[in-house]
Amino acid sequence: MSTPDFKEDPFQLPQNLTVRTISAVRQEILQLIDKNKSTTIEITDDCQVDISFIQLMEAARIYAGSAGKHIALTRPASGPVLDILKRGGVLEGMSDDDAKFWLHQRGTQ
Amino acid sequence: MSFPDPIAVFRTEAAELLEQIEAGLLDLNVNLGDKDQVDAVFRGLHTLKGSGAMFGFDALAAFTHHCETAFDRVRKGEVPATQELVTAVLEAKDHMRALIETPAGDHEAASEVLLANLRAAVEGAKNPGAAQTAGTVPAKTLFKIRFSLPQNAMANGTNPLPLLDELRELGECKIVADRSAIPSLDLLTPTDLHISWDVELLTAQPRSAIEDVFIFVMDEMQLDITAVEATAPAARASVKSEAAPSPQPVAATQDMAAAARAPTPASALTAPADTKPNKASENVRVPAEKLDELMDRVGELVIAQSRLSQLAGGSGDLQLRAVSEDVERLSGELRDTMMVLRMVPVAHLFSRFRRLVHDLAHETGKTIELITEGESTEVDKSVIERLADPLVHLVRNSCDHGLETPEERRAAGKPEAGRILLSARQQAGEVIITIKDDGRGINKDRVRAKAEASGLIPSGASLTDNELYQLIFQPGFSTAQQVTNLSGRGVGMDVVKRTIDALRGTINVASHPGQGSEISLAIPLTLAIIDGLLVRVGAGRYVIPLSAVEECLELSIEEDMRSRGRSFISLRDSLVPFLRLRDLFRTGTKPDPFQKVVVISTGAERVGLVVDQIIGDHQTVIKAMSKLHHDVATFSGATILGDGDVALILDVGHLVAEGQQQEAHLRAAG
Repeated sequence: MSTPDFKEDPFQLPQNLTVRTISAVRQEILQLIDKNKSTTIEITDDCQVDISFIQLMEAARIYAGSAGKHIALTRPASGPVLDILKRGGVLEGMSDDDAKFWLHQRGTQ
Repeated sequence: MSFPDPIAVFRTEAAELLEQIEAGLLDLNVNLGDKDQVDAVFRGLHTLKGSGAMFGFDALAAFTHHCETAFDRVRKGEVPATQELVTAVLEAKDHMRALIETPAGDHEAASEVLLANLRAAVEGAKNPGAAQTAGTVPAKTLFKIRFSLPQNAMANGTNPLPLLDELRELGECKIVADRSAIPSLDLLTPTDLHISWDVELLTAQPRSAIEDVFIFVMDEMQLDITAVEATAPAARASVKSEAAPSPQPVAATQDMAAAARAPTPASALTAPADTKPNKASENVRVPAEKLDELMDRVGELVIAQSRLSQLAGGSGDLQLRAVSEDVERLSGELRDTMMVLRMVPVAHLFSRFRRLVHDLAHETGKTIELITEGESTEVDKSVIERLADPLVHLVRNSCDHGLETPEERRAAGKPEAGRILLSARQQAGEVIITIKDDGRGINKDRVRAKAEASGLIPSGASLTDNELYQLIFQPGFSTAQQVTNLSGRGVGMDVVKRTIDALRGTINVASHPGQGSEISLAIPLTLAIIDGLLVRVGAGRYVIPLSAVEECLELSIEEDMRSRGRSFISLRDSLVPFLRLRDLFRTGTKPDPFQKVVVISTGAERVGLVVDQIIGDHQTVIKAMSKLHHDVATFSGATILGDGDVALILDVGHLVAEGQQQEAHLRAAG
């Protein structure tokens, strides 16, 4: 059985994206990237998030990039995720690639 | 292997923090301008708040935040420290303890009341000079800060974002997350933290304010703070000094309590010393019960060694003897090391009295200074624990009855402020704790009248001053004309006596009318293992604590006969009473031809104990007497000898008192 080239349905992350649940989220995303050439992640508006999730997504980008795969968010970071990006100093000094991934500035990665 | 419950660890460390906060507040109360103490209290509150939030004590964190804010304002010079503010935060500190002990309890109403008091204290203290301060624009310094938290910080509950928020509160801030160390997802342990931060902060705050942000997460973190430039040439000297050219990594500290420790200052009223550099990273926190367990094991080892020694001595096997001697030496060293581990400075005990005196001064309307000395004196931890209650009674008594009101003191030509000295020192195997006040002294006539009225002594009985003063420790005895909520009911001093007796200690009282009184407690340094002198009386063997032994003499039959009826020996031109233990214990045996006199003492009082044989020194593991023998005053405990027999340990204090009593009777009889 061949793996699909593109995962049509975005993967919706659970509501809790904090250090308490981050290990399980890592496992899910790792499997998704392994199974698919392209992974799209959907984050709910009312999610709980902390810096561990930002770190996880950064690690996922590295993993996907080194495997020649694609990972993206369904929409630009907003709400709690954007707040954590700001408070955590991630927005400052963002590269173009970072801005594309997190904020969808100038297209997607 | 079991790991300590993190909540229990938090509670322990929080309790220490609260003590430090209290000590800082009490020091500040004495010198309201002491900026170091303001900083110390602020740091303590800050740490408590942060740690509380980290461990889920949200009510504590929220409540402490208000006190922290109040002290932050004091720190920034917006509000001066006042006694009202100190009192409000002291009361709040007590409430914090409740929030730690029963976080699920209903504390809301109490919190509101205390916070209202706090607000009132802050409002009432607002500094008229603050407006002037606000009018001047302080110089700002640009700091470059780089920090990374320990890798397990998130797993341990530390959220880095509030730290970044706090940095932003200090001034204009640019924060950049360094994500370069984040590994690929397949290699990532997602609860580990791989992000570090670079911060540029333009602030009028000193470097210490930046360090304070990290104060409760300093364990193993990396923090470099570099002052790059000051914005105004007229920057204050303190700001200039901050502008060091090279980064100064902040030393990591092991626990939050250590992190919050006050920078230096000893109180004006506290004797110097005890300001050793903090080496928390070299310390290990061990539960007290583990030490007790270890002590028991060492005790058993000492007993087993004693048996081995006896077997070896009787066997004639030289190799066995050599091994036995080695084991004896090693067990002795182990015992000494164990003893050192159990020793804690009395500073911990004394510190609680500062608050007590503060509160008592408030309640009685007196001005009271508490002076402490010898706080580094070390005592076995179990002794320290049991000394707390008696000392509370004695200090209360001094505050309530000993010291006069300010008016009375003025009339007597004394300084308005009464003084209580609490001191500790070691003396020959004992710790001497002294509570001395400069009050009115003990009224001997009133003590005598009360004792006669209650039938404790016959009317007109001839008593020495010390004997008379000892009556105040009788149950129900009180000369107080008024019963206050502090003292005067006559319960308390008998508690002191009972506790000190149980500790195998003695109490000495001295008093001078109009000048004050002094109560000294002499307590053995340890209650666990002592060096003893093993003696034989009749067929029984007994242990005399070696620390009390002054010398041993031979009592010939002739001298024994000569001294019959008198029971005195002449020792370097002074007569020392002696007790024939054979008679005292009713052994029914004949005396050995060459009896020995073991001269023991407690302070200045001496007495000889006539024994049949001195067997030698003996490491004595003290076992408590059974409940059935609880009221046998002659013995303070028992020990197991090498051959499995039990030897009773003589209560030196009791025997000396008995000897002195005998002397007094003989002198009275002419």
